[in-house]
Amino acid sequence: MALVPRRSLTSLGARTLDLVDAVTDLVRVAAGTVSGAVFTYWRGTRPKGEIARQMHAIGNRSLLFVMVTLGFVGMVMVYQTCLLTTQVVDGRGQVGAQFARLLVLDVGPSLTAMMLATRVGAGIAAEIGSMKVTEQIDALRMSAVTPVDYLIVPRFFACVLMTVVLSIFGMAASWAAGGLTGYYSFQINPRTFFDLSMVAPAHVVLGMTKAVAYGAAIPIVAGWCGLRARGSSEGVGAATTAAVIGSSFAVIVLDFIISAIGLIFWGAGL
Amino acid sequence: MIALRGLHKAFGGRPVLAGVDLEVSRGEVLFVIGTSGVGKSVTIKHLVGLLRVDAGEIWLDGARIDALPERAYAAIRRRVAMVFQSSTLFDSMTIAENVALPLRKHGRLRMAEALADARRRLVEVGLGEFADRWPAELSDGMRKRAAIARALTLDPEVVLFDEPTTGLDPINARRVDRLIRALADERGVTAIVVSHDLASIFSTADRIAFLYQGGVRMCGTPAEVQASADPVVQQFITGRSSGPMETPGF
Repeated sequence: MALVPRRSLTSLGARTLDLVDAVTDLVRVAAGTVSGAVFTYWRGTRPKGEIARQMHAIGNRSLLFVMVTLGFVGMVMVYQTCLLTTQVVDGRGQVGAQFARLLVLDVGPSLTAMMLATRVGAGIAAEIGSMKVTEQIDALRMSAVTPVDYLIVPRFFACVLMTVVLSIFGMAASWAAGGLTGYYSFQINPRTFFDLSMVAPAHVVLGMTKAVAYGAAIPIVAGWCGLRARGSSEGVGAATTAAVIGSSFAVIVLDFIISAIGLIFWGAGL
Repeated sequence: MIALRGLHKAFGGRPVLAGVDLEVSRGEVLFVIGTSGVGKSVTIKHLVGLLRVDAGEIWLDGARIDALPERAYAAIRRRVAMVFQSSTLFDSMTIAENVALPLRKHGRLRMAEALADARRRLVEVGLGEFADRWPAELSDGMRKRAAIARALTLDPEVVLFDEPTTGLDPINARRVDRLIRALADERGVTAIVVSHDLASIFSTADRIAFLYQGGVRMCGTPAEVQASADPVVQQFITGRSSGPMETPGF
């Protein structure tokens, strides 16, 4: 009987140590990525054209996926909003302007990042995880190459830039699809719908800050998951799943934090 | 030259090494043998800081190295190279670029100089004409030879080989054995080789360390190991499926 609580305590202790180890690793990867990107980028050894290659993989290959998804989300949001606004008083004239504000401030960057967290986060974790379980990460360390600098920093640059670009394309697709839905389903004049009067510079600043933060978080979290992969293909699968969950969670948490900071700075005027 | 004292390592609460003691002299070829999962690769990875000890000490030329920070291991890894079990060539680089990588980073050579040196090293292992190919275009044996060339680019004092002949045909496997022996005899390179290949072990080793249940069960010359009365050692070197090391349910 006495063994049971002791075993439980041992297990709890081991889990706590694992958690501390994981968090320490995440901080190390984040610090290494930021320092590699900001301070030592030009001293690093990376394959030629790696950032361009990663921009293509992250940006070009996600463009259709992001635009189609955000287009559908735009249609659904505008349709539902119009349904609600026509039930009490006819507020269709305000839908386009409010939708643009919401897109720029939150929905555009956040949904784009959620899409990238699944597609790009999974890809980064799978690639780095495969390298980890096949000892290529160890081979890099033996060659005096820092794995974070070699693998995560180029993806960090590419992902930050392409999240901003894809957010803009996603917002455009969503706005256009929403406008079409408003016109064909609720007869909202396009000149009324495509109204940017509710979008203030603060909204653009906050939305783009979110896009940059998401773009930074996805490769860091996914790379961290990949570097922690263990065993064989099963370990790579687990790392990939963890990367999708972790990146999506990071996007939601960052959305909350940046929105809260925005409210503190701009208050009710936001 | 190298001493491991009371090395302990556990993964997820499961102990793998439980007090490994081992000494290796300069220019010696030591084979580390034992069943799969006994901790042979884990043992050698500690020597270059790819894994950190839970307890115990590692000494290299009289200096204790087990508690060094990651950055300080760069100097160790310049002196102690490793050939991994899989070839671990980077797919995004040509064979020559793979071999040149340690020269550029450890040796601080410019790309052109490093590539010229890499091509020379590749000629030595018979891959001169494949220098500009991608790893995916080479056979397993060729990739292994390229990985060996990469490990030797910095003229290391110690080379750790993790199953260097696994996946090679018998001819190429014996070539690798000859290379290991020549490195020790002609250049005084110390080699620590993890292997299951009995032909390789008994033709190449100066000494053999047999790992069993987290510790060194026996360490001696090939003749001493072959003459050992220990039933565990005998079962391993004769490859009998039944004996004291029988795996339940297998």
